[in-house]
Order: sequence, then structure tokens, then C-alpha cells
Amino acid sequence: MVPLNMNSTKSILKKRILTHFDICTGCNICQLACTMVKDGGFNPDLARLDIIKSKDNLYNQPVVCNHCDNPYCMNVCPVGAITRDERGFVVIDDEVCIGCALCARYCPLDMCTIRRQGKKDKAFKCDFCGGDPQCVQECPTGALELVEIQSAEIREDR
Amino acid sequence: MDSSYMGKFLVIDLDTGTTATLPLSDELKTAFIGGKGFCAKLLYDLVPEDTDPFSSENVLMFLTGPLTATSAPSMRGVVATKSPLTGTYLDSFFGGHFAPSIKYAGYDGIIIKGKARELCYIAIEDDTVAIKSAARMQGLGTLETLEAVKAELGDPGFKVASIGPAGENGVLYALIGCEHNRQAGRGGAGAVMGAKNIKAVAVKGSKLVKVKDPRKFMEAVQAANEELRNSPDVQGLVAAGTAMAVDFANEAGILPSKNYQRSTFAKASNLGDEGQRKHLWIKSSACLGCPIRCTKMGAVRTGKYKGTITDIVEYESAALMGSNLEISDIRACAYLVTLCDELGLDSMSAASSIAFAMEAGEKKILDTEETALEFGNVATVEYLLQAIAERRSGLGRLLARGVKRAAEIIGKDSDVFAVHVKGMEAPAWGPRGVSGMGLAYMTADRGGCHQRAFPVAYEVGGEKWQGKTLDPTGVEGKGELVFHLQNYQAGTDTLTKCDFGGFGVSPATYADLLEAATGLHLDPKEFDTIGERIWNVTRLFNLREGIDPTQDTLPKRFVNEALEDGPAKGHRISKEDMHFMLQEYYRARGWTERGIPTKATLVRLGQQAAGI
Repeated sequence: MVPLNMNSTKSILKKRILTHFDICTGCNICQLACTMVKDGGFNPDLARLDIIKSKDNLYNQPVVCNHCDNPYCMNVCPVGAITRDERGFVVIDDEVCIGCALCARYCPLDMCTIRRQGKKDKAFKCDFCGGDPQCVQECPTGALELVEIQSAEIREDR
Repeated sequence: MDSSYMGKFLVIDLDTGTTATLPLSDELKTAFIGGKGFCAKLLYDLVPEDTDPFSSENVLMFLTGPLTATSAPSMRGVVATKSPLTGTYLDSFFGGHFAPSIKYAGYDGIIIKGKARELCYIAIEDDTVAIKSAARMQGLGTLETLEAVKAELGDPGFKVASIGPAGENGVLYALIGCEHNRQAGRGGAGAVMGAKNIKAVAVKGSKLVKVKDPRKFMEAVQAANEELRNSPDVQGLVAAGTAMAVDFANEAGILPSKNYQRSTFAKASNLGDEGQRKHLWIKSSACLGCPIRCTKMGAVRTGKYKGTITDIVEYESAALMGSNLEISDIRACAYLVTLCDELGLDSMSAASSIAFAMEAGEKKILDTEETALEFGNVATVEYLLQAIAERRSGLGRLLARGVKRAAEIIGKDSDVFAVHVKGMEAPAWGPRGVSGMGLAYMTADRGGCHQRAFPVAYEVGGEKWQGKTLDPTGVEGKGELVFHLQNYQAGTDTLTKCDFGGFGVSPATYADLLEAATGLHLDPKEFDTIGERIWNVTRLFNLREGIDPTQDTLPKRFVNEALEDGPAKGHRISKEDMHFMLQEYYRARGWTERGIPTKATLVRLGQQAAGI
């Protein structure tokens, strides 16, 4: 477990992807961009973000990793494979991950998935492309928007 | 070497319940590329001569192209089979999200032969193929089926192609619904699927579609997207989809009204983008990988049909279900088209069949006891759509066969207002004001179709052809025009490109995309040659299946009756006009005066083996 620190007041400029269901057309270009840059090919089912389509396709809701202040995935990882990197993004260390799927089970947005890699199961999630996400770059409508949040803090006193 | 081809087709034989894979041959790749090329070559090779479209011997194919499932803008998939409506070669393109899933499962296409003993659905997940009972789905609509299949498979990630009651019941123009808002609409592929006892095909895959040179590919994608942004036509579609064409067609005098008796409609604006924006639209929606987002999703909020979730009412449907039936309430029109989609009826052929019945009713040729056969009557249309899909009642059974057969059955000279080519109901571009469009209908490989060549753009759309302005109602040069447009269209349909993408993306960029994705080098001009090859193979298929070239003709209404209204008032396309255009066209094609490919033409295109 990560130790609780009730006195943290560290303030940081956070990058986040703001999603706009009203503009999203469900074209999946974000997902195609994601798997091309991360996996070297196209398949939206393998992308690290999702689009929930409902009501006979009237609603298209993009879902992206929140890189939470209080990341459930990180909290439940039994081996410390999920950490927050120096830029504030919640990332998985492949070498350490044992593919136990606890992160996938407890992420409320289903943003962690388990895939076979070689002979082992590994967890996958968005790493924010290190700060310049390809999905945002390629979204043709602005339904995915890169924003910086000034006021919030990364709290470690969850 | 990575390539965006998956390298094999999945072959399912429903007679034996077995599956196999068929390798994608180099010949198929280099001579036919994909999409429409695959359709033409595979259909010619796999369907035995004189096959009954509803028999076990007919094949039903869901095919892709090399760029399907990638981020190359606006790619689709295509269904191919021998059409029960026309007896011709049939391909029917569909956008959306179903076709890419075929490639993610590892295939360039799915080829289905034989006939299942009971209503079934086919679930394909990568290498696993299961044929499951669909008994409980009998009679369900296309979207109801899609939901039922996903629920039974316990996985909403499957993409589903499905038929409604119309396909189950053998309506000759039944469609295949391909996920939401998209259909393989024309020519009755849904009825072939029904005859094979397939209620749905569900596909899911975990494979990556890779490209040969990712950096060059993404550069070409960016170039294509830039061309789309710079095209005024494409930007029109971004703003208002095909609904914008209603007012244009009305002003040009080519908007059908009252079963093509007229070519303008006083309330056209109600049916076009203005009316749809006001009464229906809420947001834009797109097919996979497409930045154009021509679909405008909406809902009917008021009136009798409130609560209907609806796609944009596309131009063809707005005209044929609207002005051609003298219905001007776009909310009713949206409801009726949505009903067609759910019942699994091609809204174009269904609406045209009803227009035919209404005219027959008004002329006292058809008995009107069953329902009020009068133009503008929405309740009649709703009643007839249900009756057709279920093939119940005299009118339902009659109209389920399309206007050509309906006219043959009722006789009494009703063929003079049966508006079809080779049995396929004509599209919504009345050709008397645009004679080249008439020739495009006469010669289209699947009967009355507007998607093989679109001379309208050059005849009244303001585009110049080889630097010249064309006379819309003239006949000279139209054969050459249609020849070139058809070839380029078919050539780029090998990529499964959407026509709307084709308005913006240049041949050179398509070639760049293809090369970066597959390594196949193509001079951009070669799309024309590949298209020409395809046109000869589909022609040979149709000749082999007994489609006589005398059927390269227009409906009697366009030949005998001069237009009563609009800019081309007084004009018709006479027999002499047809003959002139057709001979010029046959000459351009290298076909005989009777419309048969010569040996020299086939040798030039490398298709001598397919000679007749």
C-alpha cells in the first residue's frame, strides 16, 4: 500500500482530457489513433479509451482515463506496478505487472484492460502519451480537448 | 512485411456446417484490389451459371477493401450476391462499423454458401465460428435483432449485420442492416440472407490491422483529410448531409414528385436540410474513421410520431418517401424511413413500389378496398410497409415483388408508370432534365442506380467536364462521360471508398494510401483501367445470367412523357436519344453495337479467360 500523507499540499498543473459527448460523432478516429501509436496497428477494441454508444446511436460518450487524484487502479495494485510518474500521469510498469486484473476490476470507467502479451497477461491503460495524447491530436471535431487544470492539487490524503 | 490486407477470406458452408479459409491470391490483389473488384471477380467465379438467387448455390459475401478498418478517411464494406430483384450482379456498399470488424477478426471478407436448415445467426470471433439458433429472433426488426444477438453473446463489442422480417419473408428488395444507421440497402441482399436462413452475422476480432509504412500512411491520411477540408462539396455534407440536395434537385427540376409525374415539389424545403434541422436533428454522427459525419442523428419531438429516434432522412429517401408520395411532413417521412430500416426494407424500392400502387389506385387499375391508394396518405404508406414486410394481404404480396413484377401481374398497361431499370426501382434523380444520368441508369450493372456514375454533377451541378460545360438535356458526349465516370467510380470502389470521401480525396492520394498500406504501387490513372476491367467482368456476369442488352433502357415514363414542369419542361429522353447515347457508350467501352464485350477488349483488360 502507498502510505497516506494527510499533510500533502503539493500543487501541480494537471493535464487532462475533457470529453464532449455533444460533439463526439462516434467516428472512433481517437481509438484508431491510439492503437496505431501504441500497438502499431488499428483496432478500436484495443484502444485505451472508449466511446459508449447508446439510445440507437443518438448518444456517443467518449470515456478516457481520468488519471485520478485518487487512482483506484493504483490503490488496488498488489505489486506497485501502477504509479504516478513525474508529470502526474498514472502509468503501468510492464516489468512489474503480474496481470492479476485487480486494476481492471476496480476501475469504475473500465479503463484498465488485460491482454495477453507473449505468454503472460498484462494490464494496459492510457499513459497520456507522455503529455501529448494522439487521440486528442487526431479527433476531427474537438470532442476530446486537452486542458490544464490549475487549481486542483494531487492529493495523497484520500 | 506488414500489409493492411488480412490475407484470407472466411468461407462458411451452411449446407455442411463447415468453415474454411481461402487465401487472398496475388491476382485478386493486383488486378482487382479489393471491394468492388473482389465482388465482381468472386461472384463471377463462385456463382454457377443460371443460379436461382434464393437457392443454396448463390453466395452471399461481406467484403472489405485494403483500406477498410484503417484511419484512411471514409472507407466502407460491401455485400455481394446475385440479386433476386434484378437477376443481375449485385453489390451494395455500407458504411458504419460492421465491415472493419471483419478485418479485426482476421479476414478480408466472409463468403457464405449453402443454406441453413433453420433460422440461425453466425457468430465469428477471430478463428472461432459458431452457427447458433435464431429461432427466438424470428420476426424481429433489424435493430431488435442486433440487440438480441449482442445480449445472447453477452458482449456488446460484437458488430452485427442483421435482417428484419422483410428479409425473412423474401421481399425482393429486403436490405441488410449493418449496425446503427447503415444498411446494404439496394437489390435484395437481405432476401438472399433470409433465403439462407441467416438472421444475423456477428463479428468481433482482436487482431491489429497493420500498414506497410506507418509514417507514410499517416502522412497520406493527413493529406486526404486536408483535401476533405478543402472541398466545398464535402463541407456541405459535413454541415447538412445529403438532405441539402433536396432544394438543389427541386430547383434543377429533377426532384421526383407523384411517381415521377412531376419534377418539382412545392414543399421541398420541408423535406430538405431546413425542415430536418428544425424538426429532427440533434447531432452529427459518423462511420468508423470518417471525419465527414454526414449522418445527423435526431428525434421526432412532436406530433403523431414523436419519440422516433432517427438518422438523417437521406436525399433518396426524402425524395422517394416524401415528394414522390406527396408527403411533405418530414416527421412522418422520418418515421416511415426508420420503419423501413427496422422492417428491413430498402426505403427507395419500397417507397417507389407504393408510389406505383398509389398511381394505379388513382387510375382505378388497382382495387382500393384494402387501403386508400392515394398520394399523400401517410397511414396508407405505414400500412403498406408492414404488409409488404410480412407479405400479407393482396397488396403486400404484390408490392413485395417490386414494380416491374407488380406491373406484369396487374397488366392493364400499368408498365407505363412502373419506374425501374432491369427491375430495380429508379433513384430520385428524375433523368429527363439530365440525360447523362438517364444513360447512367440504363447501363448500371445492378439496374436503376445512381451510384455507378453521377453525371448530374456535370450536367446541372456546375462542374465542367474536360473543360466544357455540358448541355443537361443534350445527348452528345454523354456516352463518353458515363464511361469515364463509371470506370473511375468502380476503380476507387475497390478501396470501398465512400462516394462522399471521393468528392474530396484525389486519385493520387488514394494511390498513396494504398501503397503505404499494402505496398501495391498504382499510377493514379490505373484506377480507371481497374474500373474498366470490373465493368467488363460484371457485364459478362449479367450476360451469362441472361440479362439481355435490350434491357439497357429507361422506364417508359421517361421515354414517352415529356416533363410538365421545371427548367427541363417539355423534355423527355426519346428512343432515338437513348440509342445515340448507348451506341456512343458501347463504342467507348469497346463493346459491340449490341453491348457485348469484344474479345479485343477482354484481352486488353486481361479477362480473356472470362469470355462468353
